[in-house]
Amino acid sequence: MSPPPLTLSAPAPALRTAHTRIAPVLRHPVTVGVLAVVLAGAVGLGLVKGAGTGPAVAWDALVEGMFGSSYAVGSSLNSAAVLALIATGFTVAHRAGLVNVGGEGQLCAGGLAAAAVGTTLPAGVPAALGVPLVLVAGCVAGGAWAGIAGRLRARRGTSEVITTLLLNFVGVGLVSVAVHEEALLRQPVTSSETLPQSAPLPEGARLPLIGGVESPATAIVVIAVVAAVVTGVVLRHTAVGLRLRSVGHSPAASARLGLPVVRLETGSLAFAGAAAGLAGAALVAIAPYVLAEHFSSGYGFSGLVVGLLARGSLTAVAAVSLLFGFLTNGGINLQLAAGVPASSVQIVQSLLVLFVAAAMFTTTRNGRAS
Amino acid sequence: MNTAAPALEISGLTKSFGTTRALEEVDLVVESGTVHCVLGENGAGKSTLCHVVGGSVAPDAGGLRLYGSPYAPRRPADALAAGIAMVHQHFSLVPTLTVGENMRLLRLRDLPRRVARVREEYGLELDLDARVSELPVGVRQRTEIVKALLREPRLLVLDEPTGVLGPAGTDALLATCRRIAESGHAVVLVTHKLGEVARAGDAATVLRGGRVSGGGPLAELPPERLVPLMIGRPAGSLDAGLAGTIGLAADGDSPEAGASGSGKTRAGGPEPAGRALAVGTAEPGGRAEPGGKAAARVTQALRLRDVSVRRADGTSALDEVSLDVGYGEIVGIAGVEGNGQSELMALLGGSLAPVAGRVELDGRDLTRAAPRERSRAGLGVVPEDRLHEGCVPQLRVADNLFLGRLDRFRRHGVLLDRRAMDRAADSVLTGHGIRADGPGALMSSLSGGNQQKVVLARELALDPLICLAAAQPTRGLDIGAVGAVHSRIRDAAAAGTGVLVVSSELSELLVLCDRITVAYRGKLLGPVDPAEPDARERIGALMLGARASRPGPENTGHTPEALR
Amino acid sequence: MSAVVEELVSGGVRLAVPLLLASSGELLSERAGVLNLSVEGMMLTGAFAGATGALASGNAGVGVLAALAAGLLFAALQALLSVVLRADQIVTGITANVLALGATTYGSRVFFGDGAADSVPGFDPIPVPGLHSVPVLGPALFEQTALGYAAFAVAAVLALGFSRRTSWGLAVDAIGEDATTADRCGLPVRAVRFAAVLLTGAVSGLAGAQLALSEVHAFSDNITGGIGYLAVVAVIAGRWRAWPTLVACLFFGVAQSLQFAAPALGLHLSAPLLTTLPYVIALLAVSGLVGRSRAPSGLTVPFLRGA
Repeated sequence: MSPPPLTLSAPAPALRTAHTRIAPVLRHPVTVGVLAVVLAGAVGLGLVKGAGTGPAVAWDALVEGMFGSSYAVGSSLNSAAVLALIATGFTVAHRAGLVNVGGEGQLCAGGLAAAAVGTTLPAGVPAALGVPLVLVAGCVAGGAWAGIAGRLRARRGTSEVITTLLLNFVGVGLVSVAVHEEALLRQPVTSSETLPQSAPLPEGARLPLIGGVESPATAIVVIAVVAAVVTGVVLRHTAVGLRLRSVGHSPAASARLGLPVVRLETGSLAFAGAAAGLAGAALVAIAPYVLAEHFSSGYGFSGLVVGLLARGSLTAVAAVSLLFGFLTNGGINLQLAAGVPASSVQIVQSLLVLFVAAAMFTTTRNGRAS
Repeated sequence: MNTAAPALEISGLTKSFGTTRALEEVDLVVESGTVHCVLGENGAGKSTLCHVVGGSVAPDAGGLRLYGSPYAPRRPADALAAGIAMVHQHFSLVPTLTVGENMRLLRLRDLPRRVARVREEYGLELDLDARVSELPVGVRQRTEIVKALLREPRLLVLDEPTGVLGPAGTDALLATCRRIAESGHAVVLVTHKLGEVARAGDAATVLRGGRVSGGGPLAELPPERLVPLMIGRPAGSLDAGLAGTIGLAADGDSPEAGASGSGKTRAGGPEPAGRALAVGTAEPGGRAEPGGKAAARVTQALRLRDVSVRRADGTSALDEVSLDVGYGEIVGIAGVEGNGQSELMALLGGSLAPVAGRVELDGRDLTRAAPRERSRAGLGVVPEDRLHEGCVPQLRVADNLFLGRLDRFRRHGVLLDRRAMDRAADSVLTGHGIRADGPGALMSSLSGGNQQKVVLARELALDPLICLAAAQPTRGLDIGAVGAVHSRIRDAAAAGTGVLVVSSELSELLVLCDRITVAYRGKLLGPVDPAEPDARERIGALMLGARASRPGPENTGHTPEALR
Repeated sequence: MSAVVEELVSGGVRLAVPLLLASSGELLSERAGVLNLSVEGMMLTGAFAGATGALASGNAGVGVLAALAAGLLFAALQALLSVVLRADQIVTGITANVLALGATTYGSRVFFGDGAADSVPGFDPIPVPGLHSVPVLGPALFEQTALGYAAFAVAAVLALGFSRRTSWGLAVDAIGEDATTADRCGLPVRAVRFAAVLLTGAVSGLAGAQLALSEVHAFSDNITGGIGYLAVVAVIAGRWRAWPTLVACLFFGVAQSLQFAAPALGLHLSAPLLTTLPYVIALLAVSGLVGRSRAPSGLTVPFLRGA
């Protein structure tokens, strides 16, 4: 008898061999998370002191800004929903092995389409018609915007990382063009003080509030929750989820096994774009109901970061989105109430991401960037 | 430098990857002025040993001495600085650079002089301006060897260097090894082919399961003694096909060696007898019948007509190739790798479209069909690169078996019925004798042999199955798995399926096939009937591009093209 | 009319100088296989440190040194993440930019207060006698500041010193194309990649100083405003080769300067549209719709030695 092959007795995950030097305890997600929060928090404390504010005052302002009022909670939830939508889309594309860096551009495309549709709707449009129209327009435009990258990848083999990155800037630029030109979306210029932004959406195209008049939380929160749950189920429990995973791990083998690889890849990227486009439409359909330059304010990039931090888990997408959503709103109050620059929160957040990235992203992408 | 000290001395070398022991307490002494062979089946730890010597992998325990002084490389640069040159199993050439630029990467002083010296001393010619990505594998291998020799190494380590070489190329390479040893340096030749060992080696060390199972001067170690050390059971227990895959068929890897008279050893007796026996067992009575049926039908299981394929760079990979595989027939394609076999498989698998010609399965045109349509029509494909094309290592075994047929496993209309998948997979595992930790085990946790059995089981489960195309079906498998794969292929043929086997192991094709054609520069030459007594020699000649009608002695004066 | 063209060209070159400086480093880094999206952050930190140093010492030269040091420090962080820890280059790059934006904004609140950074010691143009009066090209090329001339020199040295013909350039290409092979040839893969990122940081820091000390003599929040990303885009549009990258930088500069020259030329051009143009061009270039394009195979793939 030949001896049994060594691997049989010891089935070891193939990727484990990659990191042996750093103690596994240090690499455990919980340890990493706690350490990152502690380190970033310490830096935050230093920043607060540097601005000449007492830690207690700053903390109160931060908490006040996050949970102090139903207004604070509501707007934090809206931000979290936008991030969660983008991150959900990112996760789907990532499952198929694609990295969608283009959330920002897709968000812009979605917002652009939503504003175009919304502002052409008659003033008396019923909400049951107006809201879905605006949201669907955002979805379609975002999907199409991502579709450009998908098509270039399928046809010419261009890396989606680079194309989606470039399309971000084009998307942001197009929003600027649209809100600067009266022939496009700019509101009628009546005086030199007319802002370069679109006319406001009619009543029937605005997202309904869900938390009473006090809270700005809108239906997008519900939509984001539903999207995340449905996506989670599809990825985990359906044939489509398994096919996406297979394509993500090995396009060559998947093709051999008869999976429509190009369709799955392009489709997942388009889905990511549609989710970001939906988020963009929501941003336009939330007060002040206009499309303005820089309305995306980096949500697309933050959403990408949320998606990467969540590492494929939709529960984590929800958790990280909430954290980021609340932190951002708390930071605004930090500046208003405690005189600490809001950029402190930006710094703390980015350090948090860098710490986690340093510890955990020892290349999960299978070298397919080129 | 102490001349009495051995060139390389390894003691107590141990290396684990995760929970897998790749090397355990390995001792090895390479005397200077010798060619030392390291033998073992795939997975025995040979490559890990090379990586340790080359500085790519740090050992967990144990020490190395180089010409008497301690040697502990921490990176490949250390090995190079110590005078060790490696020729890796997978090429170490940057494909986008030219040959000359790849040489310049070594940052050696007076490169032109060194190139000239290697050319003169070893007769190794190179076109320095050729881009590596455009070179055939044989030339790349030659480039790799020249690259190693440019450094004038004290120790040359070659890891499975003959895998991509034809018989002539192998000969030239082994001759080069001898010449290096005779100049006082040392060569470590890592291989799993006994024929090469017998022709070029002075001493051998055999690895099995990461441990040294034996070794010594080759004068005292005839193949009959090496085989049990390699595989852990006596040589006599192997049938000729299995023996062929490890190059045990004595001069098996050098078909023209006999004709040219240059072979160092030529074990006469047992080999032809063994083959005759194998051919007998390979053709059970049942086989003739489907073949007869085929004659009655006009269509073939698989039919290629004037198929031409171009590579990305515009060169021709397949040139008006025509091929028929009848029902129940096993057709082999031999040849040095890189002569169009990979493109042929890609063409059959549907990942490459021909510029001209037609592919028919059972009379049905599949020239431009998608892989899915091919599977439905009954064309099974076992790709050469198992881990990248054959399966998805990160998914479960059950997922790998049924990925193309997930629609059958539905729950509540939309959800995937994993339990039903696992049940179905379980019966496949049992039926094919696949050793895995259940259907939920990750594909990557299986041994190479069991992975291959899963791939084969999946393709054989196609219904209908008109034709099965398998590339290098037993590469990297241990002896037991080779036997299982061969018998599955024979069974499929016996059931009326046409089978096409592409393999670089000529001995394997000789025992398995009814007909063998030879791929040479994008053409298919032959066919040759493996039952003919001079089949091996004729195929060897065809691999060098000789015409089918001119077999035998006329090739004596042939310059071994692949390496010159 | 010719005055307008002259203005267009010299404006274009002026805008292209920081771009050229940063892309000459980024080109090298990407050829070695590391994508630094953080060029933007490196430039921003450079500009901030340059302004701070010049303001604190009253000497623009000290500002340049500070910018250089800040760029190097920031690049060391990026290199630690993407080369040593093998973290995802895209996420760390983008996040590092957010960090830089946050840190410099915070810093300018704390250090400068209101208006202090509106006027910092800087460099004045030094016309090259004779040459600067050549029509069109004269004012464009020969009326730079000392830092501007240094930028030309640095870009030229990097382009020539690391061309494929030199052994250094060859090594960089091999490392970016196939790190494992390069390692087996004895090339120090990680050291070269680390150094390439540091170099990108140094030149990007200089580019930031050029913005703050040569152009406006001031620092304002987000003064780079995407020029760093544009530098990365120029490398992509230049298809990872030196000359096309140079052309891309110049073209991007002229496209920007067209915004200001357009009214004088009687053209009605949307300014945002011109801002967007470089990205569209890069998109066309990288898609192979304009010429053939091929990124280094190892771009964004970290190197880990192993069997």
